[in-house]
Amino acid sequence: MTPDGRTPVVVVTGFLGSGKTTLVNQLLKQEADSLVIVNEFGEVPVDHLLVESATEKAVALPNGCLCCHMRGDLEETLMGAAMRRRRGEIAGFDRVIVETSGLADPGPVAQTLYADPALQRDFKLGPIVTVVDAFDLESRKASAGIARAQIAAADVVVLSKVDRAAGTAGAEAEVRGVNPAVECIPAQHGAVESGRLLQASPKTAPVLAAQPQHASGIRSFALRFEKPVPRPLLQHFLDTLIQLRGADLLRVKGVVPVEDGLVLVQGVRHVFDRLRPASPSAQRGEPALVFITNGVERREVEALWQAMKGLA
Amino acid sequence: MFLNMKLLAQHTLNGFGGMGEGMSMQLARDGRRVLWLAHESAPKNFTAVDVTDPRKPKVVTQTDLPHAQMRSNSLEVSGDLMAVAYQVTKFGLKPAGFELFDISNPEKPESVALFDASGPHSRGCHQLWFVDGRTVHMACADPELKPRNPKDDQVYRIVDVANPSKPVAVGRWHLPGTMDGDDAPPPQRLPAKFDAGFRAHNTNVYPERPDRCYLAYIDGGIMLLDISDRARPQMISRWTNSPPYNGFNHTVLPLFGRDLLVVSDECVQDNGADWPKLVWVLDARDERHLVSVATLPAPPVETFKQRGGRFGAHNLHENPPVPGAWRSEEVVLGTFFNAGVRAYDVSDPYSPREVAYFVPPSPENSKTGQIQLNDVFVDDRGIVFTVDRGGGGLYALEMKL
Repeated sequence: MTPDGRTPVVVVTGFLGSGKTTLVNQLLKQEADSLVIVNEFGEVPVDHLLVESATEKAVALPNGCLCCHMRGDLEETLMGAAMRRRRGEIAGFDRVIVETSGLADPGPVAQTLYADPALQRDFKLGPIVTVVDAFDLESRKASAGIARAQIAAADVVVLSKVDRAAGTAGAEAEVRGVNPAVECIPAQHGAVESGRLLQASPKTAPVLAAQPQHASGIRSFALRFEKPVPRPLLQHFLDTLIQLRGADLLRVKGVVPVEDGLVLVQGVRHVFDRLRPASPSAQRGEPALVFITNGVERREVEALWQAMKGLA
Repeated sequence: MFLNMKLLAQHTLNGFGGMGEGMSMQLARDGRRVLWLAHESAPKNFTAVDVTDPRKPKVVTQTDLPHAQMRSNSLEVSGDLMAVAYQVTKFGLKPAGFELFDISNPEKPESVALFDASGPHSRGCHQLWFVDGRTVHMACADPELKPRNPKDDQVYRIVDVANPSKPVAVGRWHLPGTMDGDDAPPPQRLPAKFDAGFRAHNTNVYPERPDRCYLAYIDGGIMLLDISDRARPQMISRWTNSPPYNGFNHTVLPLFGRDLLVVSDECVQDNGADWPKLVWVLDARDERHLVSVATLPAPPVETFKQRGGRFGAHNLHENPPVPGAWRSEEVVLGTFFNAGVRAYDVSDPYSPREVAYFVPPSPENSKTGQIQLNDVFVDDRGIVFTVDRGGGGLYALEMKL
């Protein structure tokens, strides 16, 4: 097994006021050797001051929202952190936690890590953790599209403020309507066992079984692979899909059998990571690709796959 | 400084934490894991540490040398037998050679035999390899030989210890031209400031190829020897990097399934005076034609070069073929003195990657004011043990790969 010494970048996202900083603070209490990058645009501007960590390990991005055209800040911050670690200017860190702005689509963070080969030498995308307020469901309606993108991107959802909410059923139903496979963890004041978040991996089984009630326009489904497929065909299929509907692929993730083992596929919109051997933890469960899309139907994807398989 | 490695424990070994390059694990009969460590210099000979719980290492035994003009530096454990190298500081002194100990009771090592290699041109044994319980392969002077240059005294020697109480020398090899009576001319020496000698250092022999010795020969490069006839080892091939580099080839680690050799230099001067000292990856598909294809990415030179003490390559974890040792053909670990212990992914031999490191803070009693990690041993639980040449003693690390 080839070792993967890259440092995971954990993305903590969630709507304005959902409790991201509280969660990050709780994570830091359990996982002290973390570098925290805080994105402060549009949110409480002192967020980064609330991060109870060694100052050298907390970085605030100065230039606002982590959207596509500004993600250079994140690249520079991560690259700089890797350089400073190598030179011993900072002691070291086991993971990076990026807290996004409440108004940010977390997709660009993932895209940054997929698309930059220099960054990929030192970093890999870790779990995307989305904090969802279980008490104030109405607040997300102000920017429903972004809220849905945050939930769609999640590998794990933390349901916050459960002490104030009458129950979590409403929030959970909202999450399942967008991302039926994702694990939902209720938490009071961000108190979650860190391992449950940091070890989160793609789960396909619930999607295969569920018949979810989708939020408007959102589709989620899985494409199964019972036999190994030629790697070039898989790559060609993904390239074609991106070309046709890349903008509407909110998240694609899963493992696919190829001739020499299982490969991990992960992408956000039009940017995908290169096909990599799947780690043992990612190999659990049925080989399948989970799609969360903005209006792209299962039958369209299946038809494309069958057509390309037939032509191969 | 760390990446994917975490400190579990440090033990300064009762205040005698200046350690050499002998690290070997005994799986004791009572179930304990005992790590045997050679000291860098007098007064201590060796120390045994119970590392069954790597978070709580405990000293089991610590012994003294007979006198201060000698050092042990190197040792190896095979079953309940341990061989300890003895090197003296002046020619002619004793004991020079190696001593065998019965360590079946780790609390009370018992001397079984002393192999004497002392002589007017001998500094004894610097390093030894002992993994099969029957044969000691070592870098040691032979009193029958007279080196043309006194720095070249230690040759490759094979000693049969099948009867541990009566070790018998069975073979030797030296670089032609280095001994009186050789037909070959003396080798061209490196400039005086780098001249460390044409003599053996590590002498590795593995069960995968019992007919081969993977020999590092300090300023002479490395050699692959055919030892199918132990009485007459024959050189198959030789690879050198010096000049233009600054000598001191230290270890040859074969990765048998990959047809690769990993070769380390040793830094022997402070403040980067002999930089670069690197770890080289050699293509060994044709053992007669070794080709260097890469070096392991060096730690950042500007960070460490002037930091104090030595900076550069030294020992590797040598995949020792013994119970309790970790073996990998994908990950190579080495010590780099003030740049700590480092792990590299060599799955692509043309593009090795650094995947983990740990640089401890300077120990309190360091002469150089810096950590000087000297040797590394990884056990089959994945625990990385490394020792400081100064006073830091033993460090136990968890590698998260």
